[in-house]
Amino acid sequence: MAEHVILFTGPMGAGKTTAIESLSEIEVVRTEANNSERHIADKPTTTVALDYGEILIGAEEKVRLYGIPGQKRFDFMWAILKKRAKGMILLVNSDAPDPIEEMLSFIEEFRELYDRGGVVIGVSRADVVAGPTLGDYSDALERTNPDMVIPVFTVDPRNRDQMENVLLALIANIEMRAMFGMMTTEAV
Amino acid sequence: MSPGLHTKPAVVKAASALLTEMQGVSSSLTYAALLTDDGFDVARLPGETDGARFAGMASSMQALGDAVTHELKIGNSEYIIIASGKGYVVQLRVPGKELVLSALWDNDATVGNALAISRSYAQKMADLLK
Repeated sequence: MAEHVILFTGPMGAGKTTAIESLSEIEVVRTEANNSERHIADKPTTTVALDYGEILIGAEEKVRLYGIPGQKRFDFMWAILKKRAKGMILLVNSDAPDPIEEMLSFIEEFRELYDRGGVVIGVSRADVVAGPTLGDYSDALERTNPDMVIPVFTVDPRNRDQMENVLLALIANIEMRAMFGMMTTEAV
Repeated sequence: MSPGLHTKPAVVKAASALLTEMQGVSSSLTYAALLTDDGFDVARLPGETDGARFAGMASSMQALGDAVTHELKIGNSEYIIIASGKGYVVQLRVPGKELVLSALWDNDATVGNALAISRSYAQKMADLLK
């Protein structure tokens, strides 16, 4: 059975745990603590180590879903988790003070996952505030990382169908890039 | 929990005093910290350790311990021990509070003694917060 390990990244409050809960076919392993930063993200609890879920794509492909804690003070967990992943779904909440800057900093931090597999971006809470448009996110990526091809979607992390579409887009992206990489290697 | 205990000066002062008292009980205690469940440093003994970073790590470890006991259906995690060649860490939750006590001991202390002192001071911290 083929396996993928996908990391959900992004700032606190972007919807990483919710997205994994929506997708996972097993009981999600959660490491929640009461959130004492309600002024930053108004939610009762926050992930302090990792989330873990699993989903089967078709009959043959198992996808392991890991979520990071969003706060920088847990970056030792980022280092542990990014070692084992081959792709990343970066969630950014549109109602953050500067969601584009948040996106770019996570892209920079987890760049090796793009190099090793692929990345897609999901913009959450886009229906809550009039934040940047998808074009604004794509333009910022194009401007700062012209060598990267990263699809950007709006998503509701609570919606399983939407999250599954994002996940499938990422896996297709990873597999296409792997195939393209093999073809160029063979051509050389 | 909003705001966190780490933002309350009276709690920070009491926690610092308690850790200092704890160090007086055993010379094998080389470092100790009290931290919130979500990884904020409340108080710590002086030392070279980066307190903010250690608080984050200790809170992750506590949550992973809870996740493991939940997964194995063995109730709640009572304490965590990490042993190394140069000493060991004993960590446990302050009873009934969103606080964790993590203490580093040298090898001159027995695990039993370190655990007994840690438990006693975790309870003292809980009593202070009543």
